[in-house]
Amino acid sequence: MSSDEFHRAALEHLDALYNFAMYLTRNPPEADDLVQETYLRAFRFSHRFQPGTHLRAWLFQILRNTFLTFYRLRERESALAEDGVPTWDAPMFHDAPEESSGAVEAHTDLERALRRLPEEFRTVLLLAEVEGMALEDVARILACPVGTVKSRIFRAKERLRGLLRDYSKE
Amino acid sequence: MSTHPPESDDALGTRLRTELRRYTAPAYLRGSIGESADPPRARPAWLAPTLAAAATALVLVLVSIPFLPRILPADPTERLVRSVVAEHTRALMWGARRPEVVPTSLPWLTQESGIALRKFSPGDDRLVFVGVEPVYLEGRRGVALYYRDGDGHLVTYTALPAPGLPLPESRRVQIEKWRPALMSDSGFSAWVWRQGDLGCFIVADMVSEADVERFKDYFVRLRLSTDPVPAN
Repeated sequence: MSSDEFHRAALEHLDALYNFAMYLTRNPPEADDLVQETYLRAFRFSHRFQPGTHLRAWLFQILRNTFLTFYRLRERESALAEDGVPTWDAPMFHDAPEESSGAVEAHTDLERALRRLPEEFRTVLLLAEVEGMALEDVARILACPVGTVKSRIFRAKERLRGLLRDYSKE
Repeated sequence: MSTHPPESDDALGTRLRTELRRYTAPAYLRGSIGESADPPRARPAWLAPTLAAAATALVLVLVSIPFLPRILPADPTERLVRSVVAEHTRALMWGARRPEVVPTSLPWLTQESGIALRKFSPGDDRLVFVGVEPVYLEGRRGVALYYRDGDGHLVTYTALPAPGLPLPESRRVQIEKWRPALMSDSGFSAWVWRQGDLGCFIVADMVSEADVERFKDYFVRLRLSTDPVPAN
């Protein structure tokens, strides 16, 4: 794949990456920065991309790793469960972007509930359900086994349902 | 408040796909990323080898400079003037290496330079004595006396053994009863004359017409007051 072809193919996923970045950061300027940094890295390391593998998954992986590097150097809380996510009462990370002044407001209960999820749960739902990625690709992006992905999806939905139930009672 | 009660995994998945807002990348972001994707213009193929060859040549030249023969004037007087001017420049920039105040150092100075000062100028109303030191120029031991005038010009009087030093007739200038040659090198003026078997030089950065008149005056003052002779 030539450099031009690579750039063109990578840019086809811009909207999907931006959408993912918005749900991770909840803040348009931060999402801009995150996506821009993702593409800079992707272009710089394009030689490492193996043709034939999923470019889309590779870009999402870069974006998430960039997010974790630059946006998630937060205080880690509590012990982790077996599958690497926190227990119900102990969110894995502080979700600081939500507290920032430029944060986008949630319009629906579903958005509110999704925001309440820890990043690992939110990410797995966004990738598997919203973006419709294969579990293998999600596993590659999250750098964990497929079984862990399935477990996270299950637990994420469970928690999402619980939150939606709470909202319906309000 | 939601109109959809929480339900099965599939239903929840469908809701996530259909109800969540989808954000699209702003146009400016697409533009800026597109710009950053533009590959830098390829360098001409000949540029790298040419630069490498030029850098190698430069290194070779720099390495070989110390071994290159120096281009020296064929004329012995000009060669001496060049050395004396170089010494004057060194003193101008760095000061004398070991300035001594005569007469206490006269015996040491005579021993080191091979030149005795039967008399010398300790300075006057125009020239302030700075110091004196032995010098070694063009394979000859000599003595250099330094003065500074009221305008800050450094004036260097140098005496070296130079029997039969030829003076260019065309550059000789009549000053009172003497006829020194006025020579120049590297922007400095130099009076050159013979005194017995010694060659004597007075150097200063005085090149304009007015300066040369003053320089003549310095020549007279130093010529009258200083009398170097070979020590042996």
